[in-house]
This record gives sequence, structure tokens and C-alpha cells, in this order.
Amino acid sequence: MATIIINGTEHTLPEGEKLNAIQAAKLFGHEIPYYCWHPALSVVANCRMCEIEVGSKDPKTGEIKMVPKLVPGCQTPAKDGTVLVTDSEKVSVHQKMIMEYLLINHPLDCPVCDQAGQCGLQDYSYEYGQAAHRFVEERIVNPRKDVSDAIQLNQDRCIMCTRCVRFTREITGSGELNVINRGNHAEIDIFPGQPLDNPLAGNVVDLCPVGALLDKDFLHKQRFWFLSKHDSICTRCSTGCNIAAEENRGQLWRFRARYNPKVNDYWICDEGRSSYKSANEPNLLSAMFARGVAGGGLTQVGVEQATTLAREGLQRMAREGGAIAGILSPFLTVEEAYVMSAYLKGISSSAVLALGPIPSMGSDQTFTPDKIAGRNGDTSFLVPRPFTIHAEKCPNRMGVEAILSHFQGEVIDYAAISARVASGEFRALFVASDAIDPAYMEDDAAKLRRSDFLVVMDTTVTPLARLADVVLAGATFAEKAGSYVNFQGRLQYSEAALPPRDGSLPDLDLLAILSGKGTAPIHSRTILAEVATVVPAFSIVTEGKVPEFGVIIGGTPEPATVGAFPYTDPWLTPRGDHPTESGPNGRKQP
Amino acid sequence: MQPDDPSLKRMTPPKLNILEKTYLPQILGGLAVTGRHIFGAAIGGKTFTEQYPEEQHIPSANYRGVHRLNKDENGRIKCVACMLCATACPAHCIDIVGATAPDTWDDREKYPENFVIDELRCIYCGMCEEACPVDAIELTGLYDLTGLSREEMIFDKTKLLSVFDLTKSVEPMKTARTSATPGESSSTHELVTKPTDGPSMRAHS
Repeated sequence: MATIIINGTEHTLPEGEKLNAIQAAKLFGHEIPYYCWHPALSVVANCRMCEIEVGSKDPKTGEIKMVPKLVPGCQTPAKDGTVLVTDSEKVSVHQKMIMEYLLINHPLDCPVCDQAGQCGLQDYSYEYGQAAHRFVEERIVNPRKDVSDAIQLNQDRCIMCTRCVRFTREITGSGELNVINRGNHAEIDIFPGQPLDNPLAGNVVDLCPVGALLDKDFLHKQRFWFLSKHDSICTRCSTGCNIAAEENRGQLWRFRARYNPKVNDYWICDEGRSSYKSANEPNLLSAMFARGVAGGGLTQVGVEQATTLAREGLQRMAREGGAIAGILSPFLTVEEAYVMSAYLKGISSSAVLALGPIPSMGSDQTFTPDKIAGRNGDTSFLVPRPFTIHAEKCPNRMGVEAILSHFQGEVIDYAAISARVASGEFRALFVASDAIDPAYMEDDAAKLRRSDFLVVMDTTVTPLARLADVVLAGATFAEKAGSYVNFQGRLQYSEAALPPRDGSLPDLDLLAILSGKGTAPIHSRTILAEVATVVPAFSIVTEGKVPEFGVIIGGTPEPATVGAFPYTDPWLTPRGDHPTESGPNGRKQP
Repeated sequence: MQPDDPSLKRMTPPKLNILEKTYLPQILGGLAVTGRHIFGAAIGGKTFTEQYPEEQHIPSANYRGVHRLNKDENGRIKCVACMLCATACPAHCIDIVGATAPDTWDDREKYPENFVIDELRCIYCGMCEEACPVDAIELTGLYDLTGLSREEMIFDKTKLLSVFDLTKSVEPMKTARTSATPGESSSTHELVTKPTDGPSMRAHS
């Protein structure tokens, strides 16, 4: 059993994990500040912020020998007998010095900097730095420049941690960014005419510990502290990347990557990053509509009237002996698919359930960083993990298929069901879509309209909605909470980031009203708990709670992943106020 | 906090003597103050009433009235849209839309595309002024703020900048005012006695 001594206290290290001093200290509640280290990138130890006193304990004599100089914590392996001192005078003087040095040419433009509030320089300057600045010479002013159409570089804020450079070399392998010039004049730059435009480029903005690399899409629009963050899942492809959806005033402002070692590691793709925009579209379906209420065309009706008309229409068709079909969508959550299937099967046990069109674009693109390619620093602590952008542009095909196979033993695909509807087999049809890009175009609409009674639940105004008898305005990906099953069969929970827009209701509530469960809002967790007891594939879920990194459905429990500690850079987590006089690093605050 | 908390300090009211129990000394003392003011105003000419609006009230130098948005020496808005005033505002009456500054502003990266203060919702606490890192927002001595509708009491950027043009001569920017000669603030009087002040504020809407 390996033990490590941090600031005089012995701790037992977890088995099988290869940690460095920063990670080990964090595990036991001590903070070692850092900028350039990142768990997915090679160690270069160039910011010098994490330098601490390191020693080792002789296992036989118990004598502790300290290294005479300070050592970077990111390079120090946490192994049996390692002694770390993070709170001594020597360390604190060094941290002050490094902070002063890093801020020498800093423009101190926090009021206009988008990073303010989640900035490594602000946090560490407060925690470890000093208020006085002794540098009286003129500061070097590096102008801001564009490294791509989407990303701006404010070089004067840069601290040359080279995280972005290492990202493009080691993770994407494209190597667009590099360091030009030397010493005080060093700058991050691109090669002429070769912008930073790889599909993961946006991650350099997340990686930057200061406000140097900025997303032009978000630039100067919001302040970080106004945004409320919601732990969501990206619905742009079947990877199911974990994201933080940042919302303010009923609008989404950006997506940032959230760590999940089993799915997306620390990254999200640029396509997913910009997909938040479709939740802010002004022309989303903003009311319920019904045909034949007044005149022949579609008229706007209230939620109650729309749901009553839909329910009565479907029930009438079933009573008259007509066949009923439901087309589900790979954009529905597991809970919605379950309630919809149970509802339609409840009206008529012979109801046919099918899966709508699966959007697909291009081909899968995988980035497979390894321990050697592109790396030139210490890689001994790294656990390289691949990242894939899938061609299947929907979040929950596997989840809906699992629900459909439970209810009718097979999954009927869209081509089959649309042909059957076009042949006039069904009298009533219930189509749920919620697709980000409209899924049903003119030719689909013409085929599906062959049923006598057509109910459409969607978020956008599609040709199909124009032909429907009842149009229910459902929730976009940002407005609904629920679980998705990604390409691995991993069930992940996504929080709602926005309230339902005016005139709409979350699909789960609409379906609950249709099934006569009352108009009170339904919690997706209640439904998921029910799904777990009814559908064997989901039995691994207990009490409707999905673990942090998700869970593989229908399979055996997976082995623990090495290096799967929750991770966020300290400047991205709320610091909070200090309830006691000793700060989070155990040292007295000035 | 529990009633038996040791940090609670128990106080007992002082015991009154017989004269104090009649309450007469206190009543007479109070009447004496009232009498002094009555006779002072009637005979001594010591009146405290201001004949507003015939006589204009001159607020003190640190009076917190209508906001203004300051301009720099080039006539550009000083505000950099950092939104610290909106963050500090306890009434949530400030709404700023930030944007990247025009390329010609080489000293500035960000500016407010729009800056709206709901003067009805504002509680005139002056926290915005305190929070501002560039001294762009200030509260002026304008106190007779009136309007005919709620909408016209919502001041936008143009209107807030016009308050600056209106008040800059008598109330220099606070950064400049520290070096100004004392007593200058009394000139607020000229501002508020100008007959067009009230209507001119509305004329900008």
C-alpha cells in the first residue's frame, strides 16, 4: 500500500492510478496551483507555478530527504514515500514571484476580458500573488490577431503556457499553432495562410487558462458570472459529449466541454459547440395548432384544446377499429420514447411503433492521440483516449431502439413505416420529431398525410406540420431534461438548460397529458425509474439516477477507468468565500 | 440563533423614579422644542421650509440623482461594457448589450451597443458609480425627474449621454472634480433652475 506525505500528513494512494503531485494533492484536499499542466497533454513544466518542495522518505530508516531546490509538481510522480510540502514559506515566496513575473506584461484589462471571473490569473493572483507590482518599464504590447475565423488571440494576455500549441500537436495532430520569437517576445501564432480550423479547434478556447484565446462567437456578449451552467449532453451527434450549457435570460450563449473520460474526455467538436444556436432560433414552433376548429385550415389553439383534440382523435380512430402508428424520433429522450410508446400501445395494443429518419452526414472522424505522436514533453502520466465525431447526427437512436424493441420486439425503420403509411394502412398517425434540422420534408409529408388523422409533435415548422391535424409544440434539446443512449450504449442524463419557450410544453408533459396522467409537470427521473423496472435493458439504473459518467445499458458493469477522477481546471470551478481563516490550501489568508 | 445562545447579551430596562413615571418632564421637553420652532419661525424668522418650485432646492455635492454616461475627450462613450454596474446593481435596473468596439477605436476593445437604465426601478444607491472601473457612469444632482409614462422613464444610451451634455458644465466628471476648486458643486443650482430642464429631459426620449 503506497503512502504519500503531504504537508506532514500521511495519505494512502489509490491502487493502479498513476498520479502526479498536483493530482495527488488535490485528491487529499491540498491545492497546488498550475497553468501549463493539463491531464491530457504532455508535461512541459514551463509555467513554474506548481513548484513545491519535494522529498522522499527512506522506507527502512524513515528518514526524510528533501530535494534542495523547488520541483515542478506536474513532473513529480506521487509514489510510495514521496513527501510534498505545498504550504511552506519557500513555496509561497516562489508563487508570489511567479505571479509577479507572469503579470509583468499583462494589460490588466479584466473589465473587458471575457475570461474575467473564470481566469487563472485572477484566481491565483488573489490566492497566491501580491497586490504590488514593481515593474516600472513600459509593458510589451502585442496586438490582438485572428488565428481563425472563429478564434481570436489577444497575445498581450497570454502567459505562454503552450497548452493550445500542445493541443493542436498532440490531440488533433494538425499542429496549426506554434510559438514564434524567443524570450520576452515569444508569441503564439499560426503559419501564414494556415488558420486554426480543425474540427476540434474550439477546445483551445476552453483550454486557455487566461483570456488570450477567445471564441469570436461569444466575444464581448456576456459576462461569465451571469451565466448559469447546466450539465447537458450534446445532441448534435451520437457521441453524446458531455457539455455545460451556459444560459442567461432565457437564451443559450455557449457550450463548453465537460469532462467524461468514457465518452468525450475533455473535448467537444466545433459543430457541437455551435449547435447551441438552434435553441435560440426565433422561428421555432411557438404555439399549438389544430385543423378544423375554425374553418378548414390550421388555427392556433391552447395546450388543453390541442391535447384534447389529439387524444380524442386518436381514441376515436382506435374505437372505430382503424390501425394506429407512431413514429418516434432519435431526438427523443429515453423517457419520452417510453411514455409515447406506452401511450400508443395503451390506446390500441396493435399500434405500430417505428423509428423516424436517422440523420447522417459525412463519415465518422476519429482523433486518436497516443503517447508518442506529436508529444515532446513528459508523457508518463498520460492516459490517451480517442475522440470521435460521428456521422450519425442524432443523440438517442440506441435508446429509442431499446424502448421500441421492448414494446414490439423489433424496430421498424423509417423507410418501411413511410411505405406502409403511404399505402393507406393506418387511419391515425402520431409523429414525434424534435429534430434539430427539420426531418420531414415535402415528399415525406405527402406520404405520411395518407393517414386520416395526423398528430405532429415538433419544435420547428416543417412541411409535415403544415399538413397535420394537430400540431403540438414540443421542447428543443435545450428545453428538455432526460436521458440519451450514445453510440456505446451509454445512458447519460442531460439537464434542461432553458425553460419551455412560450406556447410550448416539454414533450414529456405533453405525452403525460395525452395519457391522462394530469397536467402537473412530470420529472424525467420518475419516468426513468419506471423505465428501469419495466424495460429489462434499463434495469441497471437505480431510482432514476444516472451515474456521473453514465452507465452502459443492458450489459455487465464495466471495469473502472484509470484516471477517471472528476476534473475541471481550478479557475473554472467556483472558488467560494473562505468560511475559516485558513484558505483551501490550508494556509492563512493575508 | 437559539434563545439560549451564549453570545446573546441580556439587557434590562433602567428603573424609573417617581417623577419619571409621570412622563411629565419628557412631555414638557418635547413641547419646548415644538414651541421653539413655532416662535422661531413666527418671530425669529428661522424658517426651514423651502418654497419649491418657486425656490429651487440645491442638493449637496454627493447627491445621487439621475444617471449620466460620461464621454471621453474624443466625444466617445467612456463605458467599456464590463457590466460591473449591472452586476453591482441591487435593483437589476441596468441592461447593457456589449459589442466589439469599432476598429478605429484603437485604445478600446469593447463598448456598449446599448445601455439602458430603468430610472423607475433604480433605487439611486450609487453602487453602479462605485463599481465602474473607468468612471463612465455617474449620478448627477438632477432630482426632479418626471415623466408621463413608464416607457419614457427607461433611459437608453442616447438619453444617458445627453444627461452628460446637460450636466457636464456644472458637474465635471468625478475624476476631474477631485482637482477642481471646492464650492463648485453649488453651481448645480444653475442647472436645476434652468426652465427647460425637466421638459428637455423628456424631449430626448
